[in-house]
Amino acid sequence: MVGPRDDDSVEWSATRIEDVLPPIVAVVVLVGGWALFTAFASVPSFLLPSPIAVAGRLAGNPELYATNALATLERVVYGGAIGIVGGFALAVAVTFVRPLRYAVLPYIVTVRVLPKIAIAPALLIYFGTGRTTSLIFVAAIAFFPTALSTIAGLERVDRRYADLLRSVDANPIRTFYAVELRFALPDIVSGLKQSVTLAVVGAVVAEWVVVDDGLGALVLVASENLLTDVMLAALVILLVEGLALYGLVVLLERRLLWYASAESD
Amino acid sequence: MIDVENVTVTFDDVTAVRDVDLRVDTGEFVTVIGPSGCGKTTLLRTIGGLQDPTNGRVLIAGRDPVASQSDANLGFVFQQHTLFPWKTALQNVTFLRKMAGKSPRPGRARELLEAVGLEGSEHLYPSELSGGMKQRVAIVRALHLDADVLLMDEPFGELDEITRDRLSVELREIWRQERKTILFVTHSVPEAVLLADRCLLFDGPPGRLVASFDIDLPRPRDERVFESPAFQRQVAAVRSALYGTRTEPASRTD
Ligand SMILES: Nc1ncnc2c1ncn2[C@@H]1O[C@H](COP(=O)(O)OP(=O)(O)O)[C@@H](O)[C@H]1O
Ligand SMILES: [Mg+2]
Repeated sequence: MVGPRDDDSVEWSATRIEDVLPPIVAVVVLVGGWALFTAFASVPSFLLPSPIAVAGRLAGNPELYATNALATLERVVYGGAIGIVGGFALAVAVTFVRPLRYAVLPYIVTVRVLPKIAIAPALLIYFGTGRTTSLIFVAAIAFFPTALSTIAGLERVDRRYADLLRSVDANPIRTFYAVELRFALPDIVSGLKQSVTLAVVGAVVAEWVVVDDGLGALVLVASENLLTDVMLAALVILLVEGLALYGLVVLLERRLLWYASAESD
Repeated sequence: MIDVENVTVTFDDVTAVRDVDLRVDTGEFVTVIGPSGCGKTTLLRTIGGLQDPTNGRVLIAGRDPVASQSDANLGFVFQQHTLFPWKTALQNVTFLRKMAGKSPRPGRARELLEAVGLEGSEHLYPSELSGGMKQRVAIVRALHLDADVLLMDEPFGELDEITRDRLSVELREIWRQERKTILFVTHSVPEAVLLADRCLLFDGPPGRLVASFDIDLPRPRDERVFESPAFQRQVAAVRSALYGTRTEPASRTD
């Protein structure tokens, strides 16, 4: 019953050279093919610049990308943290206070269906442009996966373990910490992964709509000015940033859930 | 030590236990045998205060089971080992005692693990232990509470017969040395006979007590008991009563 439950993520752990080699070869082939294509086919560079041109942009003005990458990172980390902590807190509250559960849960489940991106213009009206609005937006988007997964995880706790602790009249708060939370951990981590991924999406959308810095804004401005090489450079940095954040959660997962793959029953 | 007085337990539309009276004396080893679904688990949970009776009452050492929970005077062992996968054997044993609010005694925990042949396995995780080893840890965990009463719900039910026989003999020995009062639920007739001073026959649903057998076998008991004619006779007697009750419910005491 304890095990990784996120069915939507494909686990991939590179341990042997045979596992590491194919993806590296694939990237080299892809980038090489791209370079050759732009060198020999006569595509205008505003449609498809060569990878060398993109790398040149990155090397030519590293501050531009660093500053914007930092702005996006800050948005993702602060907004994401607010959303994740809020989602977790709500899940715990809803687990313990049954009336709250009945009052709130139907709406959370309903609102989940709404594409959160659609609320960005609404936030613009109520909160105006600026940093606060972008944080609210990222937080709102990161909130739901953590909230819903944590609620589901806390629900899944095995009654037999709860009985065991009840049979020695264990303190409910310590029981919650040592048992309920531990058994919910696989779900919580899977929610966390989704929240982090969505926080990056949220930051980019916020940078299109409510603020004018960050990698999202850079992508937008570059594309409007047909600076395709700048746009691609910004996207590469965004990809690296997103992967790094996701990687941190995977590291956390490996630390916390090492036993999950070993336990068979 | 355990007094069950006229206990009935009803779930919405099912009566799981009806009008059960039984008494287990201090230091006695009593087994409860009956077919699946006859209410044995419900009876045990009620005795342990995990389930409220609809009618009647349970007393442990003259008090409500909840008082025994508070004093950590009840040790439960369930059919499934319920060990925490992220804790080692030793940590599992000490954790429950800690959650019971008793002072830690890691030395004693190690001693108990050694006594059931788990020396060298203290630091293994449940996924690294065999089924029999896991149940040994679960038993040691209950013993380490220093509870007077052990309530065991088919703890060997998921083990192979060889391991099961071996653990039964071990459990008898533990009981003899630690002087516990044990109520042990099973659906295996040989196990019920081997372990018991007294074996109670249950039938249902609704679960009721249909017979009681005093088991007169040598003490202490070891594997040789399985061969003895006296053991075979007792097993036959319980078995025929068990199948007899299907057609004619009758109370008898041997
Ligand atoms: N929590 C419960 N809610 C409803 N019915 C239950 C519950 N627990 C047990 N029962 C019912 O009570 C009867 C006895 O179950 P149980 O005590 O588990 O029997 P046994 O342990 O002898 O197999 C069964 O019919 C079962 O379906
Ligand atoms: Mg049962």
